[in-house]
Amino acid sequence: MKCWNCGADLTAHDFCTSCGAEVKIYKTVICLSNRYYNEGLEKAKVRDLSGAVTCLKQSLKYNKKNIQARNLLGLVYYEMGEIVAALSEWVISKNMQSKKNIVDDYIKAVQSNPAKLEEINQSIKKYNLALVYCKQESIDLAIIQLKKVLLVNPKLIKARQLLALIYLKNEEYSLAAKELKKAEEIDSNNTMTLRYLRELELVRGKKVNVVSEKKENKVTYKVGNDTVIQPKEYKESTGMSTVINIIIGLVLGAALVGYIVLPTKVQMAKNDADKEIKQYSEQVAVKNAAIEDLEASIEGLKVKNKDIQSKLDEYEGDGGALNAYDALLTASNLYMDGKSTEAADAISSIDPEIVNSAKDGFKTMYEKLNGEVMSKAANEFYDIGYSAYANGRYEDAVTNLQKAYAMDATASNALYYTGRSYQKMGDNENAAKVFNEVMEKFPGTKEAANAKTNLESVTASQ
Amino acid sequence: MINFEEELKKFHPSLEVEEAEEAIYNHDMTDMMDILREVMKESKDRVQ
Repeated sequence: MKCWNCGADLTAHDFCTSCGAEVKIYKTVICLSNRYYNEGLEKAKVRDLSGAVTCLKQSLKYNKKNIQARNLLGLVYYEMGEIVAALSEWVISKNMQSKKNIVDDYIKAVQSNPAKLEEINQSIKKYNLALVYCKQESIDLAIIQLKKVLLVNPKLIKARQLLALIYLKNEEYSLAAKELKKAEEIDSNNTMTLRYLRELELVRGKKVNVVSEKKENKVTYKVGNDTVIQPKEYKESTGMSTVINIIIGLVLGAALVGYIVLPTKVQMAKNDADKEIKQYSEQVAVKNAAIEDLEASIEGLKVKNKDIQSKLDEYEGDGGALNAYDALLTASNLYMDGKSTEAADAISSIDPEIVNSAKDGFKTMYEKLNGEVMSKAANEFYDIGYSAYANGRYEDAVTNLQKAYAMDATASNALYYTGRSYQKMGDNENAAKVFNEVMEKFPGTKEAANAKTNLESVTASQ
Repeated sequence: MINFEEELKKFHPSLEVEEAEEAIYNHDMTDMMDILREVMKESKDRVQ
């Protein structure tokens, strides 16, 4: 026995030798719990199941951690057909002592046959339904349901007692006696069963008395000193009546065979067929479960496949990483061939977001190539643009100079000559905008001074 | 003589498998040991 306070082993003293806690009452409570457990065990051994339930519940009231008592209580419930109550006790027991606990075997045994468990659950539902029918006074429906329940779960005492009660109400005493007898075989000392049996005996006793009173239809008379008792209706047996009796006997015998022997054989054949159907149902249930598992895994794979496909689409799509790699390689080749402007176009088509999310190698190459290509291309566009400006092709000049400025934001001369080209084309509005931009972005430069002079000229001509 | 309606009141619905979890959670687990521990703790606190 362990101390309630520190968990140390207790001795014969009334206090804990380890922590000094008072353990006299504690020991008494543990002993009481064990005593009730022993009593419950004794009762369970002689099939006094309801008595065992009372004792074991009492034992657990004293000590909820009495694992043996809880396991036995579950077992008794199981024997009484109360599978759910049994499982509840076993689950609590397992929760309190997860290792070296016999309930592992019990729970495994119940869970290993899910079809049977489902069948029992259905029978419990039918019992509850029968109870509802009784309360609604649909007695016939209740009897049908209870018979179904007892076919699947013959140990459910409550169902037998309810059925017996209904038979008692319907004055079908022999059927009631049969059910009560079976209930008594399962639980020998159940108060309700015993009470119904007693009631049955009382009712039957009254009936027997009524019958015996009826039988007292006799005639008593005296012949000399002797008293003769003779039935009121007395017939001498003749040869004809003997023959008639034999014929009646034969007819009754044939009827007996027809009504008892044949139905029994038919019932046996039906039971065999039912058993086979049950087996097949169990197999079907197992296969259905396997199919459901496989369907679930297929669904999972489909979702996975969809994800992968969408990732691939993103990768291969127009704005995808693969295209970015292609564009970078094209730009690189063009640059190496000396085609800086084409290389610049190719590199411009790469989405900066992809560059940010790309790997370091790609990013480094992009940045290096972008710097070199853009700078060189800007010079080339400037040269082309300036040449066009010098030759009076101002529209070409604007196009190329704008490209040069877009590629190199420090190219003040490109921006200035863009303004000059507009001025030469007579587009004073754009020319003024560009000159203002030159003055604003490149103050103190030669281009800014020239832009100011030209701006005055443009403003004057406006 | 047994009164059918009165007897019927003594029968209660049985627990179904779906209700097992709830039954376990709602199981009254207080035992004499818990009460004893509580009483001992209270008396100890009072002494201190």
